[in-house]
Amino acid sequence: MVEWRSRNVAILSWVFPATGVAVTLIALPFVDSDPLALMLGGTALVIGSLIGVATSNSGNRFTTGLAVAAAMPLVLVDHNGGVDFAGVVVVYGAGLAMVWALRLARGESHVDLLPTLVRRLAGYYIYALVYNSMRVGIFAKFAGGWEDLLPFGVALLAWLGVEVGLRALLVLGPRELSRTYLARALLHDLNVFLGLTLTGALFGELYPPLKWWALPIALLPYSFAHTAFARFQETKVTYKQTIRALARIPEVSGLGIDGHADRTTEIAAAIAKEMGLGPVQVEHIEFAGLMHDIGRVSLNEPQILKMGYTDDDIARWSAEIIAEAPYLDRVAGDVRNQYEPFRRPGEEADPDISIISRVIKVAAAYDWEIFEKGRTPLQALEHLHAGTAYEYDPQVVASLRRLLTTRGVLEPGSAHPVHG
Amino acid sequence: MSHLTMGNRFKKRYGGWISRLRHTVRRRLRVAIPYAMMGVAVLVGTALISEPPRWGIWFSFAALFVFLEFFAVEVNDRMLQSSSIMVIMTAGVIFAVETGSDAAFAMALMAAAGPFVPADFRERRWFQPLANFGQFALAGAVAGLLLDANLDLLDGKITAGNLFRVAVASSLASVAYVLTQTILVRRAVKIVFGSDNLEPWSKMGVLFSGQVVMGLLGGLIGAAIVIARRPAILVLIVGVYGIGHMSLYAFGQLRESHIGSLRGFVKTLEAKDMYTRGHTERVAYFAQLIGEELAFTGTQLEEVRWAALIHDLGKLAVPTELIRKRGRLDDGEYEVMKDHAHLVEEILAEVDFLQPMVEIASGHHSHFDGNGYGGIGHIEGKPPSLESCIVAVADSFDAMTSARSYRMALSQQYALEELRRHSGGQFHPDVVDAFERALNKTRRRWGAPHVNDEEMARRLAEEPELTLRG
Repeated sequence: MVEWRSRNVAILSWVFPATGVAVTLIALPFVDSDPLALMLGGTALVIGSLIGVATSNSGNRFTTGLAVAAAMPLVLVDHNGGVDFAGVVVVYGAGLAMVWALRLARGESHVDLLPTLVRRLAGYYIYALVYNSMRVGIFAKFAGGWEDLLPFGVALLAWLGVEVGLRALLVLGPRELSRTYLARALLHDLNVFLGLTLTGALFGELYPPLKWWALPIALLPYSFAHTAFARFQETKVTYKQTIRALARIPEVSGLGIDGHADRTTEIAAAIAKEMGLGPVQVEHIEFAGLMHDIGRVSLNEPQILKMGYTDDDIARWSAEIIAEAPYLDRVAGDVRNQYEPFRRPGEEADPDISIISRVIKVAAAYDWEIFEKGRTPLQALEHLHAGTAYEYDPQVVASLRRLLTTRGVLEPGSAHPVHG
Repeated sequence: MSHLTMGNRFKKRYGGWISRLRHTVRRRLRVAIPYAMMGVAVLVGTALISEPPRWGIWFSFAALFVFLEFFAVEVNDRMLQSSSIMVIMTAGVIFAVETGSDAAFAMALMAAAGPFVPADFRERRWFQPLANFGQFALAGAVAGLLLDANLDLLDGKITAGNLFRVAVASSLASVAYVLTQTILVRRAVKIVFGSDNLEPWSKMGVLFSGQVVMGLLGGLIGAAIVIARRPAILVLIVGVYGIGHMSLYAFGQLRESHIGSLRGFVKTLEAKDMYTRGHTERVAYFAQLIGEELAFTGTQLEEVRWAALIHDLGKLAVPTELIRKRGRLDDGEYEVMKDHAHLVEEILAEVDFLQPMVEIASGHHSHFDGNGYGGIGHIEGKPPSLESCIVAVADSFDAMTSARSYRMALSQQYALEELRRHSGGQFHPDVVDAFERALNKTRRRWGAPHVNDEEMARRLAEEPELTLRG
């Protein structure tokens, strides 16, 4: 399997630039645009593709190159006023081949770089192809800019389809994340994708009448949108950091196992991604994981220690604490049910126990087995397997097993788990 | 007291509050009525001198303008950011350039429709919408007149060649629009709240440049629509802009949730102990009062509020028996308490955003004369920051005016005397003075009345059958 992957990487690493160059050479004789416009377009695509933009933490990488690519079919026109399809193909092919060389020189690995660039090139070509055929086809009779905008809308959908499809299918390295998660994660950043591509189209629409004035006019709304994305992401990161810091309070007080909340969250989020849950659910799992034991702060009450407490009490106290906190309150119910068995004897799986509670239960138990009982990952997993009749959801445990296999920690001799 | 009639009792109890309310209402009327009248006069005046706009276009832009005003986002303490200026400038340039219409009336009317947000109606606030109606109408009219004066000459013959002129005209109009609003808001705040409360609003200037750039952009978009005559452009602009605005809105909500989560978290934990219930909220309130009295900026106030919220989080890690222990802690217990509290401070300080607030909070046990103890940021022999001194005064005042397991709450008068006695030593004199002034302004009383010494407070807690006569 590993050999097959590395052979693929090696083949793709040469096929990709060769395709870009070959397509460029084939299309070059048919180009109708001004060579200067082609040079400028290509340069803008290269520079744009090196400038990353803020996205959520779903692992997507978008660059301002998307805006340049979206503008190309609207800007490069032939002498009949139609799309200079050959010119567009040349800019995409040559531009991305150059981006490949530059990013490789910057030290990026083939494994990360190739899927992204292959996806981009396919998306760009499909977009240009659909735009061109729609522009000369069913939307040719429209006016007022709609003759550009309507084909653009259809072409954008096709482009998005290619992006989502290839994001899920084309993974070169070891794959911890399910294909469903990868596709959903890309759609989670749809606002960034649309912000960039609409900006490109706006420039394309404004360029013929306004020439270079089109640039500031198109860039200013985008700069507003970009600042807003960046601020939102920054606040989200800060918020998570604050919650993570609060989660450590019972641990530093000696009321919980050191690092338990952090490790449980990491493994729970990884299981969720492996199972193909969406980014929003993954985020909820992260918050629930961090807060699942926060109720332990009550354990420094002498009265409670005297009377004794159960796991259910901890879950109840944790849920009470976070129920008062906006944003976190949405996972209070999941935290409350974290110790409930997923099914009781003679019954079906309890529908009231959410997937978030079931994942947290498995992840917390796994961490407990390793760090409190000193078991190896394999022993811990076997213990969880034994409890899949009632306590632990078999699907979640199966997902944990796949995850640990991918991480290579189940092999004999692996005494310590590898996280992240 | 028995000789007081019911009416007199009511007056004695609520008289101060009623007269204060009357005073505030009077001052608000002094702003709302003239501002609203000015708004009406501006609308009538501009309607008389302007050609009416093309209503179809006007309604489209006005709807967008009102929508953006609805979803203005609080980006900093009391500062709302809305990008409606871009929309009004786009419409203004279109009306100014097109023959047969003028920008002044169209912009004044559009701006005047903006301030009526649902929250004002829901919370029955009438002062703000009325005052805003007037100031928005005037700002819109001033900007519109400038656009008319600069762009009417083009008489619809706008091309890529004279876009520079549009850029200059819309920049000037945006400056006038924002400046008019800033001046009128400052004036209203000064009349209603007094000049001491002006500082947070005066920071509107921070948003000034951003607003002017947006106005310039709006003007250029207007010109682009006129030149290209392609309505599809507007769809794209609104699309990009809408996406950005949604993110900004989500940012505003998340920002609120951030502080809300911490507040909720602290509140629930405090609720477990009847003696500390509400302590953090009250300290945050007192700290805010002092900050406002000392003319803090929005950012400074926000930092002090956060610091007040986290100032006691360290105690969560301390065994409860130590916190509730009556009498002095022995050396070992004292060390345990300090170590646990410092560990929490260190964890919180790892959050970049919280670091300045943790430094403020951790200095609240440091004394003004350099004594005391503190965590991060405490330097032996050096006075703590002004913000730490504020939290210290707020914390001590609440500690004195709240009941403890071993004593009853002390009176406000006693607590203030204590603060004054230690002013210059434990407490920052300016902060103590500011706190006293701010408390007098609120006319609210804290603590148990007439409990004027600690011994009495202790006896009252131990022998509840004892009663006080005033």
